[in-house]
Amino acid sequence: MTTSTTKGESTGVKERTKPEYTIVGKSVRRIDSIAKVTGASKYSTDFYLKGMLHAKILFSDRPYARIVDIDASKALALPGVKAVVTGDDAPDNRYGVYLEDKIILAKGAVTYVGDRVAAVAAVSEAIAEQAVELIEVTYEDLEPLLDTDAALAPDAPELHPDLADYDAGFPYIRYGNVCMEAELARGDVDSAFAGSDVVVEQTYRTGAINQAPIEPHACVAGFDHRGRLTVWTATQQLSVCHAELASALGLSMGEVKVVALECGGGFGGKLKTNLEPLCALLAQNTGQSVRLALTREEEFIAANGRAPFTIRIKLGATRDGKLTASDIDIVADAGAYADHVIGTASHALSSSDGVYRFPSMKVRTRAVYTNNPDYGCMRGYGTIQVNFALEAHMNVLARALGIDPAELRLHNLLEDGDELISRSRVHDVHIRETMETALAQSGYWDKAGSMPPNQGIGIANMVKTVGLLSSAANIHLNEDGTAAITTAAVEIGTGTHTVLSQIAAEVLGIPLSEVSVAVPDSDSTAYDLGSIASRTVFDNGSAVRLAAENLRDKIAGCAAGALGCEVGEVSVSSGRAYVTSNPENGMTLREVAGTSIYGFGGPLVGVGSWNAYKHHDEPVGGGFGEGIYPTFGFGTHVAEVEIDPDTGQVSVLDYTACHDVGKAINPMALEGQIEGAIAQGIGGSLWEEMLVADGRILNPNFVDYRLPTILDMPRVKVSTVEVPDALGPFGAKGIGEHPILGPGPAITNAVSDAAGVSINQIPITPERLATAIDAAAE
Amino acid sequence: MEIMLTVNGEALSLAVAPDALLIDTLREAADLTGSKKGCATGDCGACTVLLDGRPVTSCLVLSATAQGKDIVTIEGLADGDNLHPVQQAYVDFGAVQCGYCTPGMIMMTAALLDEEPHPSNDQIKAGLAGNLCRCTGYSKIIDAVNSAALITGEQKE
Repeated sequence: MTTSTTKGESTGVKERTKPEYTIVGKSVRRIDSIAKVTGASKYSTDFYLKGMLHAKILFSDRPYARIVDIDASKALALPGVKAVVTGDDAPDNRYGVYLEDKIILAKGAVTYVGDRVAAVAAVSEAIAEQAVELIEVTYEDLEPLLDTDAALAPDAPELHPDLADYDAGFPYIRYGNVCMEAELARGDVDSAFAGSDVVVEQTYRTGAINQAPIEPHACVAGFDHRGRLTVWTATQQLSVCHAELASALGLSMGEVKVVALECGGGFGGKLKTNLEPLCALLAQNTGQSVRLALTREEEFIAANGRAPFTIRIKLGATRDGKLTASDIDIVADAGAYADHVIGTASHALSSSDGVYRFPSMKVRTRAVYTNNPDYGCMRGYGTIQVNFALEAHMNVLARALGIDPAELRLHNLLEDGDELISRSRVHDVHIRETMETALAQSGYWDKAGSMPPNQGIGIANMVKTVGLLSSAANIHLNEDGTAAITTAAVEIGTGTHTVLSQIAAEVLGIPLSEVSVAVPDSDSTAYDLGSIASRTVFDNGSAVRLAAENLRDKIAGCAAGALGCEVGEVSVSSGRAYVTSNPENGMTLREVAGTSIYGFGGPLVGVGSWNAYKHHDEPVGGGFGEGIYPTFGFGTHVAEVEIDPDTGQVSVLDYTACHDVGKAINPMALEGQIEGAIAQGIGGSLWEEMLVADGRILNPNFVDYRLPTILDMPRVKVSTVEVPDALGPFGAKGIGEHPILGPGPAITNAVSDAAGVSINQIPITPERLATAIDAAAE
Repeated sequence: MEIMLTVNGEALSLAVAPDALLIDTLREAADLTGSKKGCATGDCGACTVLLDGRPVTSCLVLSATAQGKDIVTIEGLADGDNLHPVQQAYVDFGAVQCGYCTPGMIMMTAALLDEEPHPSNDQIKAGLAGNLCRCTGYSKIIDAVNSAALITGEQKE
């Protein structure tokens, strides 16, 4: 159920005239949905090659140990085993996104339960499994560092002694077990706190979350019909996967190819490479194609889940509710390798203003190696952790001031032109509209302070950057006048390829059914950063828009020649190119294609190359965590909950969400993103957490790690504010991650309201809530 | 060992290991990869198929125990090019995102509507409580089931 608020000139926002579109803005059916409902789609787990081998990984069962010896003789003697590879067989070079600290197989030591010690390729999965059990590893256990406090201790052993020598994408400050430290500040925080009427300080914690796509990781590595190494996989980042795979194997990018299979959910779990380098190593080693697929238990161990954060936050305000200062210290448990935790910890820093104006701020962030699982990132990318702390703490501040928490927020909202701690200036800010809409739709003002016993209401605001790095797309005109998109942007389930088709169809003036999107592979497509970071519609959509406009211009040029007029006199719409003043005088796109291919001009190809930053002329800061973001999407959630004070059980009774989306290209798909993100957010607020003890994940299955079911979900009241963004295609912003930022703090604030206790950790498990209630009663 | 199954109306004779699971037999021996393996412990529902008309999580069924039985998988639900009303409703209502849970979800929905042609929202939720979806938040799935029920309910009457 979507209601749409469109604000006009009166808001002072630069508003384009509201054009009528044919396909953009329509909830068309997804182009991949027939294949998906009939079982025809081939996912990574569904891809089999004739005669392929099956692989299994021997994961370390120790959090920290020296590898004294690996004896694979029994495994190799098992009939059907074709290869056993260990660290000795793997390249020495390290690889990684932010910091090159990973290797394909452990060499000399293991640093977490799940580190990859060896792998087997055999004629069946069952034999591979048996062979893995026959590999004998002699370890010498070392004292593990099981939390960030231990890892930060001055005398802690260094888990990566070569840290200073690792290649990195930026000269991060790094020392000891800190693989990244960054600090940003503005104004005089100390005197601002001294001059504040109220100062509140607290430490918040967020849990380790598994992305838990229903499709576990799987891939096949083999050789194409020219003998070139090829990997078929499900990935969110085809180009990045390709580059990292080549880097891990020590190959040039031309020596290996990656083909995207259908992806059964990403959520940050299928970034860069995961299994691909090891699977390819086995294919190289055996000269045969090899399939490597994870079980659900292995998926919990091997996916790089959302890292747990500890965030100390101190806020100050004047008596009348004006924010004065903020001091935040962020510590992220990176686990065994840096992976994306350098990114999430720095993005937490960049996001630490939230949606508020702080006259002075000081924020420090650190990503810290431990012997915990190899954490990475998930939907929400650092913003989710810091937004939880900030939005929960805004309520603590409101209580201390004796002001309603929504009122406090309304006094301090960002406005167009404000500069953030990241040095980015915000524009197209619509937080006031999303707040007003969500407060009205939830009936907040009537309910706040007068909820029935054991019920509570909570509000949370959110903002997330939109637009990141580069994307490319080409569109060519087929001989029959239909259009074909090639791009490395993958469909991970969000509707990307449908939305890209809508953009191309709209620009070219043809029906959606006359646009196709090629299966992405690294040979046929130029760089795209991937289906991540709420960027695909904004960035790849812009590349497709540019490609379509370029193709449209070429169509017009070809038609002008054929029709004997100037290019500027030609219109392209309804599947035709014609003289604008005399529509009778025209030709079909099929005729244009025929003229260009068989007559003159050559095949028509539209090229779209996009970089999200080139439209900004503001200086980018020199520190890590600083940077100019193309645009920002804002939102407000209101949660209503009921608690059982005896058991600590929480149920979500009602949920309202309003998001500033620029322009919904496909409203049904957009609503699906909002509803799905809120479900994941509720899961992470109440139940979902990887329980880690002595470095081991205790609950690596769907019984003990509880995903939200259909029984848990309230019907979410979704609404949008649609004011076209200055940069996005047709004014679209991004929506993939924004709605997952709300449930943590909105539910926390609602539970606090219901229970009358302060909550500083998610998920709010029954045990944690019951303990907090008992502690408050004492 | 050799077993006989009727899968999507076709009689198949398949060589399987005594400990082979029905999900693996369908995907690997019968080459029907529409049914998905999400957990192999019966917790996610992605492998749901109809066994003699009743929904089962095929990762918990030994292939040998399905000897002589009639199985319908997602590949066998449509009538030629005409989608089953449940499939059509999932398409129309945006109930499909990544689509990995979809085959199991649709088979369970078809079984639910066969049993209860006019389910309430609570009955829909109870019926689909064992099928996990990580993408949609379930609202559009409920909409799709309600819409499909209007058609299949009418067909039954």
